[in-house]
Amino acid sequence: LTKLDAYGITADLPPGFEGRIFRRTPAPGERTYAVAQFATFALPPTVADFGNGAVELMSATDIFAVLFEYGPESAHNSLFRVPTIPRRLAGDHFVPTVLRRALPGQSGTQWFFTESSRPFTLYAVLGSHRARATLVPSINTLLAGISIKSGAT
Amino acid sequence: MLALLIAVICAVALLTVLVAGLLRSHADILRALHSLGAGVGDPARRADGDEHQDRPRTAATSMATYGAPLAGERSTKAHDLIGVTPEGTAIALAVNGPGRLTLLAFLSSGCVSCRRFFDELADPKGVGLPSRVRVVAVTKGPEHESAPEVAALAGRRMTTVMSSDAWSDYEVPGSPFFALVDGDAQRRIGEGVGGAPAQVADLVRRALADREALGRTGSARNGSGSGSEAVIGLSGPAREADNDRRLIQVGVLPGDASLYPSTLADIFATSEREASAG
Repeated sequence: LTKLDAYGITADLPPGFEGRIFRRTPAPGERTYAVAQFATFALPPTVADFGNGAVELMSATDIFAVLFEYGPESAHNSLFRVPTIPRRLAGDHFVPTVLRRALPGQSGTQWFFTESSRPFTLYAVLGSHRARATLVPSINTLLAGISIKSGAT
Repeated sequence: MLALLIAVICAVALLTVLVAGLLRSHADILRALHSLGAGVGDPARRADGDEHQDRPRTAATSMATYGAPLAGERSTKAHDLIGVTPEGTAIALAVNGPGRLTLLAFLSSGCVSCRRFFDELADPKGVGLPSRVRVVAVTKGPEHESAPEVAALAGRRMTTVMSSDAWSDYEVPGSPFFALVDGDAQRRIGEGVGGAPAQVADLVRRALADREALGRTGSARNGSGSGSEAVIGLSGPAREADNDRRLIQVGVLPGDASLYPSTLADIFATSEREASAG
């Protein structure tokens, strides 16, 4: 397995996955937090936080997933009350209407949670909603290899 | 008598000092050879503490090695890349996997001839590369390269990975150097240097054409392309073992007379007989 580690996020990438972990350069007066992107296809050099610029390149067998961190003040918000990263997604968690950019055939899911006192959202996209039964186990394998440490951002 | 005894003792002491000096000099020479990578024993083991101490010692690594490995000695294995981008993003890039075809351009900010590659490979179609080829610039890690300089050269138009491990994994002799990786076969199908981006693109097109031709040949011979493709790229002991396996499969065992031809007739007799029969 390929191990990717930055900003307190560690990912053991399953075969065929690639990934990036970064933090945007903040504008004056802004604070930015960690973003981790994972994909089973070649990510282009520049991708928006939630995959704009990448999801258009997905084939029916591809997966894209992002972990996006929010400011620590959000950890107390009820939206982030789930205490850990979801690791066992199911096919019926994915629906086309969740997509931030609606593309024919694709579907997505989004979860908010807090892990190690750090609030995150997990957003995942399947290249083909019809193939969700075969694609979701790969996402779960990816999620099983992700760990988040506290206070690293 | 006493004088003779003293003289012998002095001579023995002098010889002891001389032998000790010679042994020390010999040890210094061996240490220097080790540090140059040409010593007896594992040349990767450095005199000042080995950076590869966990590397298993094998017969191959115990032999003296001089210079870079020859083409036939190089591995064709494809390694996924792990490093950082010039902007500081941690990045893991997969080159192995179905449908992936990656051109790794090993470049350096200090190499003048690399600048043209940084500029022109950002537009792969412009230099004539097939659209299915992903181009990735690979420089050494930030411990050897200036990240701002690499960022200035590469811009954000081309995926750039800074990774000294990748240079080591792909046995890069210097920059610019290129490796074409076939993700389906999980191996390099071409590598070498190129003088200009268009020349590299031409070599890539040729490598892909060769691969497709070999695939067709394999399909015709074996009913599928996989058997033929599995053999391509074998070298050294692996190639020899594959040859042995194939000979044994057709009944040619060690010591078989056909392995030791004494005249040309021994080699060509079969084809001549077939020709005359036809």
